[in-house]
Amino acid sequence: MNRRDILRIGGLGLCGVGALDLIRAQAASSANNAKAKQMIVCWLGGGPPHLDMFDMKPETSEDYRGIFQPIDTKVPGLQVGELLPEMAKRADKYTVIRSVTTMNKPGDHAQAPLYWLTGNPRLTTGSDEYPMYGSVVHKLRPGPADLPTFVVLDEIDVHTHNALSRNFLGPAHSPFVMQPFKDKDAATKMLTPQLDLPAFARNADLLKTLDTRLRRNDTQDEVIAGLDQYQQTAFNLLRSPKLRQALDISKESAESVERFTRNKPAKARYPTGDPLHFLLARRLIEAGVPVVHFNLGYWDWHGENFTAGKQQIPMFDGCLAALLDDLDERGLLDSTIVLALGEMGRKPKIDRPKETGAGRDHWDYAQFVIAAGGGFNRGCIVGATDKLGEQVIDKFYKIESFGRTLYHLLGIDADTLVHTPANRPVKLIVEDAPIIKEAIS
Amino acid sequence: MPRLLLTAVLVLLVAQTLSGAAEGDSPSYQRHVTALFGKLGCNGGTCHGAVKGQNGFRLSMFGADPAGDHEQLTRESRTRRLSLIDPDVSLLLQKGTGKVPHGGGARFSVRSVEYKILRAWIAAGAVADDIAPSRLKQLTITPAGQVAQPGETYPLKVEAEFADDSVEDVTTFCVFESLDRAVATVDRAGVVTGVGVGDAGLIVRYRAQPAAARVLVPRPGSNAFPDVTPNNFVDAPVLAKLRRMNLPPAEICDDATFLRRVHLDVVGELPTTEEVRSFLADASSEKRAAKIEELVTRPGHADLWALKFCDLLKAADFGVYADALSKEHDAPRMQAWIRARLAENVPYDEFVERILLATSREGRTMEEYVAEVNSLFEGYAPGRPDLELYARRKTLDLFWQRRGSDGVKGTMQVAHAFLGLRMECAQCHRHPHDNWQQEDLLDFANLFMRVRTVGFSDKNEKQFPDAAAHFKKLNDEAKQLEADLKQRKEGEGKKLDDDSRKAKQDIDKLTTEIAKLEKAKGDESEIAKQRELLNAAKEVMAQAEKFRQETAAIDKRAKLLAEVARRLMQAECRLLPKGESARVTSTLGSRESKTFRLLGESEPVTVSDDRDPRELVMVWMRKPDNPYFARAIVNRVWAHYFGRGMIDPPDNLSAFNPATHPELLKELRDGFVTNKFDLRWLHRTILKSRTYQQSSTPAEGAAADRMNYAFFPLRRLPAEVLLDALNTATGTTENMDMKYHHWPETMSTVQAPFIPQNKFVAFVLETYGRPQRNAAVQCDCERDASGSIFQVLTLANHPRVWEKIKDPAGRASKLLKASGDAGRQIEELYLATVGRLPTELEREACTKFITSADSPENGLQNVLWCLINTREFLLQH
Repeated sequence: MNRRDILRIGGLGLCGVGALDLIRAQAASSANNAKAKQMIVCWLGGGPPHLDMFDMKPETSEDYRGIFQPIDTKVPGLQVGELLPEMAKRADKYTVIRSVTTMNKPGDHAQAPLYWLTGNPRLTTGSDEYPMYGSVVHKLRPGPADLPTFVVLDEIDVHTHNALSRNFLGPAHSPFVMQPFKDKDAATKMLTPQLDLPAFARNADLLKTLDTRLRRNDTQDEVIAGLDQYQQTAFNLLRSPKLRQALDISKESAESVERFTRNKPAKARYPTGDPLHFLLARRLIEAGVPVVHFNLGYWDWHGENFTAGKQQIPMFDGCLAALLDDLDERGLLDSTIVLALGEMGRKPKIDRPKETGAGRDHWDYAQFVIAAGGGFNRGCIVGATDKLGEQVIDKFYKIESFGRTLYHLLGIDADTLVHTPANRPVKLIVEDAPIIKEAIS
Repeated sequence: MPRLLLTAVLVLLVAQTLSGAAEGDSPSYQRHVTALFGKLGCNGGTCHGAVKGQNGFRLSMFGADPAGDHEQLTRESRTRRLSLIDPDVSLLLQKGTGKVPHGGGARFSVRSVEYKILRAWIAAGAVADDIAPSRLKQLTITPAGQVAQPGETYPLKVEAEFADDSVEDVTTFCVFESLDRAVATVDRAGVVTGVGVGDAGLIVRYRAQPAAARVLVPRPGSNAFPDVTPNNFVDAPVLAKLRRMNLPPAEICDDATFLRRVHLDVVGELPTTEEVRSFLADASSEKRAAKIEELVTRPGHADLWALKFCDLLKAADFGVYADALSKEHDAPRMQAWIRARLAENVPYDEFVERILLATSREGRTMEEYVAEVNSLFEGYAPGRPDLELYARRKTLDLFWQRRGSDGVKGTMQVAHAFLGLRMECAQCHRHPHDNWQQEDLLDFANLFMRVRTVGFSDKNEKQFPDAAAHFKKLNDEAKQLEADLKQRKEGEGKKLDDDSRKAKQDIDKLTTEIAKLEKAKGDESEIAKQRELLNAAKEVMAQAEKFRQETAAIDKRAKLLAEVARRLMQAECRLLPKGESARVTSTLGSRESKTFRLLGESEPVTVSDDRDPRELVMVWMRKPDNPYFARAIVNRVWAHYFGRGMIDPPDNLSAFNPATHPELLKELRDGFVTNKFDLRWLHRTILKSRTYQQSSTPAEGAAADRMNYAFFPLRRLPAEVLLDALNTATGTTENMDMKYHHWPETMSTVQAPFIPQNKFVAFVLETYGRPQRNAAVQCDCERDASGSIFQVLTLANHPRVWEKIKDPAGRASKLLKASGDAGRQIEELYLATVGRLPTELEREACTKFITSADSPENGLQNVLWCLINTREFLLQH
């Protein structure tokens, strides 16, 4: 506990929480018994169609089930859409959750992502800015000093921006948002030294010589001590080859890269995202980065749902399968949560089913989540929807349960108290909710 | 006093209390039992005070409802929770002592005083006595102020005087807290232990009532206190306290440090190299006072405080399409208005009055108001003439046009912004560290309920017929224009379009033809004929273009009229004939009030229908004895200069949060009021004090001080000031990339009304913690002042920062071109970045670095890199 915490406990503005609670909460968030040490979130923004992917309803009429046939998987009783053959072969590696949904509270593209990515019903305005899982990991369980703790690949789009880039833990716990494949990406450049290392060392030497003015206070002053620590960490990060090497995918063999890129559509109706972000995520995890998030294209298929499916699902299938293979081979899957999800499902009843532009509208009463590794069961299905795929009928869980399950696996007590800017203590996940025990081992 | 002896004394005291209770009657529910629930933490928000209670047992949060709590205890599952026949098997005692598994663990032992009291109460029938005689008249804590050495202990004694005039020692029933445990701790029994040098508030709470004491732990030893002269009345109390604490004050800072400090603090900019040189060369003994005088009247001072007030007043949280309010239009207007008032140095009370009592019409006719709104919309154009127009308004109606500025939420903003109070918790429940109850907030809110809620509502037209008439008229006009437009586009416009398309083809053809003819030296008359045709075609094009421009102007006018109409219909700030009753609804239930009462006053006020109730608030704020209004701004201004308020956090004026220098705060506040709320007087007074002009290097032995101003405290530059300093230091600028919204070409970051498009600027502002100005957050701390790795990486390695350092038109390059003298170049860089001349050692190190670099250019650039990465650059010191 630092001085500031002590001051806080000392009395200012704690609404209803004694010092004991705080100490207890801090003690609870030790990482020793964590199953999951790392996490990858592949965000399918816009909401992928559950009825075409992981919640097939072949018994329904054509204007519900659509054109994709179900195929069997390695797990008896689990069928997936025909565009997911690779994931079918690896069904024994992951859990399909069909019973967690926002129930449209709060819904839509602006707010539902905030709910999913923070575990709290965070609104775009007028609510506390609850932090994303990665920011919490950064605060409570930061990773190696020479690596960023929470990396977001590619630009944050308008819908996930609020969840990812701002939260009440403060800007210090925001993710490193970088686009390493873009030559001019400022963030990537900022994380990799702009000088060669000897020149950087010379500069750092001179800086040390010149930066003595306020030294006398060093041992006492909190501000200076903090700055020293941040500077040291930042410079270590720049000097360390770890991140640079992880970002350099030229180290990867052509065959390896091809597994990710082969299904990238030449032309696509919606943005597809970059398949190499799967590869990059794996390399960052290998290097030791605790949390990697990337948005994979856009899945808001109101029009041409089936065209988009043919374009985007095979790429997703191949990439996620390759990612799971790689992590498993390296022995990292058991300690790394891999998530693939969006903020909602898509409407089972097809819009304009007979037309070429047939689409599926928003549906935030049912969807799927793929959760692998880090303590999530292998070869497991949790929950079920009704005959039409519209409503959850078995093992319904709220988003809070999903968030609490993630924290549970990450070894972070979801009841840990953190403070809003107004100094009101709130739990990481405000509402109490059971964890999804069926999904974890 | 040795600890053992002390404990013995305490046990004796407790025994006395107990025997007293036993002698008289059983313990009192009101005086003892409810107090114990608070002391033991039973009714906290995470325990049984939670909305749903805990494990089937619910108490009101922090004991707000003793009667209800008694009912919970006795009526619900009576047989188990309290056993009157066999008190020891009562769940209350079994769980509290952890004999039966208890989520909250064991809170007291069987042998404890608490156990004995609770048991005795149950044994006597667990009766709830009448509250009336047990209402608290006064709570006294002794000793109220004490000096303790590290390791020394002393007991606090708390006495309560009740409504029936009885006085009781309630020490056993109080919760004790130290506001700074690094200075002193206080245990459950109220025994204080000195820990380290400093001074700490000690908060005692009996039931919900607070009392505060202070403990001072002086530095050991008896060094002679240096003989220092105060500059003005600010210094005497500061020095007196330092003397008591045996903390020697730091020396006065050198001139260069002073100049940099006041520049950054008063105008938000680094001094120029010339300013540093001339200030250092000035031999006048009055030069610091003169500089202060100069800076507080500079435009930059108004800019910097406009930024601060815009943070505080959430000047960016503007509406939606339906109101015709937007951040792009209105945030700069609000900023311009505030800036104009600050530049005029309007007395602070008047400044607040013109915000608090704002209406859109300000007593003018509807026609005049419509004309104003129309001009404002027309002024949303290059140069933004609307800003000056808006700044000339008497009142700031935009304050009431922001999201969430009305009703109870809006009242909380007023309390926060102008009174330094945090009412967030009082929306739902009594705050454990404050006095406010729901009814305090609601009674106060009633004074603001006549302000109309801004925003689209289908009831608006019916409710405001005067505005509706203009709304209709303007919309009709807009519709007429739309119709004209359609006609133009379909009629003449279409024809002109066709003609011009054809003309365009003709022009191309003719131009080629003419060129061919000219090259071939063709027939002159033929060429002339072709030329004529070409000109005719061009004329057609020009006409079509003119027509298109006219059409566009009509289109713009039609849209503008519709916006004006929406704005005055949906967003006019006006008073309703009658307000609804203030009401809050939370997970703890709903509550409503019909009473009008000012904060902290016991008596309600009556409001006549013909007066704006907000006037009463203003009258109350202006009263010489108002405990919040002037104190809040004085404390905030102080916090600006010292990084912390005498009351800190500065927006938490509360009995639970005592001031470090109460007498100084009072003197400053009184002076501010006597000087007619003159903000510049306040700035000058603080700036001229020795306390402000101290060095940041502590005197020998005083380094441990944190809140007594033994030296000038370090703090990081705020985001905007830092970026401007970076620009100045590197001799570069940032184009905000806001031409689309008609921002001027050049603008400092401090002047930016909201986060601009320029990605680098946006990144720096977010990384260094510029607040969102989100009306949902009522806290000065929305501006993040902490450090981070990102911040280090930004200055050390952001590609844009390197571009600035290496900019061919930047400072390093210019210096290289201007002079070949490395010594001179280094000197200039020092002046430009850290505002002082280099020491011999620094000069040598830099010269050596430059000599051994690949090129002088490279060398100098990297010296600049080093300088902007020093703490000296990053910090106010």
